[in-house]
Order: sequence, then C-alpha cells, then structure tokens
Amino acid sequence: MIRVLYISKEFFRNLYRNPGTAFSSFLSLTLLFLLFDLFWVAVETSEGFYENLLSDMRMEIYVREDMPDSLIDIIEFNLNQIDGVSAIKYVSKEDARNELISMVGIDLLAGYETTNPLPRSFVLTIVPDKLTSKDLNDIEAHIVSIDGVEQVYYSQHWLGKVESARKIIFQIGMILGGLIFLTALISSANNLRFMTRFRAVGFYQMRLLGAGKLFMGFPFIIEGMFLGITSSVVGWGILYYGSQKIEFNQFELIFPSLDNIILFCVGAGLLGIISGYLGLRKL
Amino acid sequence: MSEKIIVELNNIFKQSDRGFQLFKDLNFSLKAGETAVIIGGAGSGKSSLIELIIGERFPDEGSIEVFGVQVKKHRKGRLKKIRRKIGGVGGLFSLVPSFTVSENITFPLVLNAEKKAIKKERLFKMLTEFSLLKQAKEYPRKLTRVESSLVQYARASIANQPLLIIDEPLAGLDKHTYKRIFDYLVKVSLSGRSMIVLCSEMPEETIPNTKFYRLENGTLV
Repeated sequence: MIRVLYISKEFFRNLYRNPGTAFSSFLSLTLLFLLFDLFWVAVETSEGFYENLLSDMRMEIYVREDMPDSLIDIIEFNLNQIDGVSAIKYVSKEDARNELISMVGIDLLAGYETTNPLPRSFVLTIVPDKLTSKDLNDIEAHIVSIDGVEQVYYSQHWLGKVESARKIIFQIGMILGGLIFLTALISSANNLRFMTRFRAVGFYQMRLLGAGKLFMGFPFIIEGMFLGITSSVVGWGILYYGSQKIEFNQFELIFPSLDNIILFCVGAGLLGIISGYLGLRKL
Repeated sequence: MSEKIIVELNNIFKQSDRGFQLFKDLNFSLKAGETAVIIGGAGSGKSSLIELIIGERFPDEGSIEVFGVQVKKHRKGRLKKIRRKIGGVGGLFSLVPSFTVSENITFPLVLNAEKKAIKKERLFKMLTEFSLLKQAKEYPRKLTRVESSLVQYARASIANQPLLIIDEPLAGLDKHTYKRIFDYLVKVSLSGRSMIVLCSEMPEETIPNTKFYRLENGTLV
C-alpha cells in the first residue's frame, strides 16, 4: 500500500512540477490522435458511401433472342444454383418496354407492338460478401456458360475503381497510422526522458538506496498511459463536438463504433505505457 | 559478537578509468557488529571501495560478497536487495532533491513496503532524535550542510539497516554536532549494527569494536 501511495504521489507530483512538459506532451498527442481520428472518420464515411452504392449494384443477364420463352425457367433455375445469388427478377420484353417508358417518359417503341427489340433479361441481386471484382468475375464466368445467355452486364469498371480507391485509402491509413504511432511514441518518450533527466540526481540516490528501475519509473509509465488515454479521449471529443456543430448536406459523417473508439483509447494508453518504458530505458 | 561475515572482498584488482591501478590484491572483511574505520587520503580510492561494495562499480579481478550474495555485473537484480540493507551517509550518498526531509528519511521504508503506521511512528522518532521536526516538510535545497547530513543519518537509521557506510562523518562539524554524531556512531557500534567509516585522518576519539585500516597504494593495511 505504501508503495502504491508513493507511486500515485509521484505521478501527480510529476504533473504538478513539470506542467509545461506534461501539457506540451498532451497537446502534441491530442493533435496527432485528432489527425488520425479525422482520417478514420473520413474512411468510415467513404466506406459507408461505397457500401450504399454497392448495395444498389445489380447484375443484368440478357437472354439470347432465339431462345424460346419455354426455356426461360431452365435459365432461372440454373441462375438460382449459383453461389452468391440472393434474388432473381425476370424482366420480359414487355417489362423492359414499360421500364423504358417510365425512364424516358414516352413510348419510343410505338409501332413496334409485334417486334419489340428489347431483350429479355434477368436482374440478379448478389449477396454483399460476393460484391467484389473477383467473385463477380467468377459468377459472370458461371453465368456465361449457361445455355441461352447472350450477355452479362454489371458495373465492372466502376467496381474496379472503387476497389482500387479502397486499397489506396487502406494503404494511406496504414502509413499514416504508422507515422502517427511512431511520432506519438517518440514525442511522448522524449518528453518523459526529459523529465527523468531533470531528476537524474534523485534517481541515482534512489538507486543507491535499492530502488529498482521499474519502481522509479512506474509513475512515469502511469503518466504516459494517462496522457495517452486523455489525449485520445479529448481528440474524439473535439471531433464529435465539431461534427455536431457543422452540418453536412451532401453526406453524413460516420464515426467508428463505440467499441472501436474505446479500443483506440485503450491502445493510446498502451502506447503511452510503451513510450513511458522507452523514456526510462536509460534511467 | 557474531562471526557472520557481512562484507568480504577477496584479491581485488581494479584499474581506474584513467588507467592507473586503483586496487592491487585488496582484501577486506567485516563481521556482523564490527566497525571498520578506513583511513585514506584524497584519491586513495575510498569512494571507489564503497562503489565496489554497493555494486556501483565492479572489480577487474577478485570477488566481492555482501550479505552472502556475490556482487557481480550480470546479477544487477540482486544489488537492490543488498543496497536496501545498507544505510549510507556522505560521499556518494546524498539526498533526493525532489523529496522533502520526511520523504527522504522514510524512503527506505517505502522500498521495504513497510506499513503506514510503522512509517509514521519511526519517522517521528527519527525527526525527534535528529532534531529535524521543524525541517520535516522542507526540501534539501533549503537545508544547511549539517541539517542535510542529519537527514542522511536519520535515513540510514530508520529501517535499522544492518550495515552503515559513512563517508567523512566528522569532517567540518562544529563541536556540538561533532559530539552528537560521535555519540551516534558509538551508539550504532554498540547496537550490533556493522559500520564502515571512511576518514581522511585518524579520528581523535575511538569508537568501540573498531578495526582500523589504512588504504595505501591500492591495498588495505
């Protein structure tokens, strides 16, 4: 108990005696975490945007003109067997014509009652897990092999772009995260090292009396953890407050889940502990 | 007097950082309850000898055993336990500047994880014994040299450490403090605790149970 009291006292004493160093450490960590939080929210928001678009994505399968209507059920049955297909809607020539009318506003095919040139088609809804270029390619290859299928269409090009954009965002996130992690670690460790250097004489004496490195350094490790957690919480607080004050008409900001935010704050605390340990390495 | 050996240095050889031979085949042993007064001039290696005993430096050759534990470079974890049994005054040992007088005195109890009540009781006893009640909340920078020295004595006594190392205990003291410190040394010597006292000159008065050594040419005679 006496040791716990000593460590707590030293922790508060460090903050009290070196408010400048502690505050600068807190500020720099808050700014770094805020930058990372901003990027995280941007990623979540763009992910939400993409997922929204992807949920509207459909695959259209055009039936060969010479295929008799009696075989349509067989094609539908074959399409139903494909892994990843969640729903199938058959669009007859008449349905296609009605859809065209509803889109354009006038019947462009007036006079073609007997020879409707629009193809028959199936519209497939794909399960969200399979909405990737690779899976859709596989599904497409499967569909093309079905007898009676003329052509398969989906937004392949757009999907490729989305996927490459996601990949780039992920890579930037990794690099940015790594840089922020390193900067936070070095900055925090240096601040703590500065504080320990300031007390080098005292630490030497404590060592001569039999104090261990961990015992002497514990208040600093706790300080690192405290600064890490408070900075990350304040970073999220600022961002949340800002999002409440500013209105976005075009899109809605999506924050990570509370669980993830809590995990991030715990991680920031852990980072503080590591930086505290690194700062004390040469004690 | 117990025959238990507390400090034992065997065939110690040590070169100084500047390259000259500091210790040449130095041997020393201190039994429980004994007092050793080591006399040596400036630069004779008194402080280095203490550094070897507390494991702050290590010999080039020879072995050191303190409280039955080998003091070795690669066994630094053991040093903590050895050092907690040693009370130090003067020389290498000074006060922790960021601690108050009370905190400096009670630090050995904190390391030993003593109970708060014991800490309070012993602190009061030490502050009274060394007339430091008024200075209890002061920081070392505000103390006089004598007061600072008294705080070190109080710190070296609070946990009843079995070994006391005192560097120049009587140098530069006024008559009153000299008597007080000398009486303290006699009291410690009679209490059964062991002491290593380092002096530049032979003390005018003799402490009971004392062996005298002279540190000359890197060895104890």
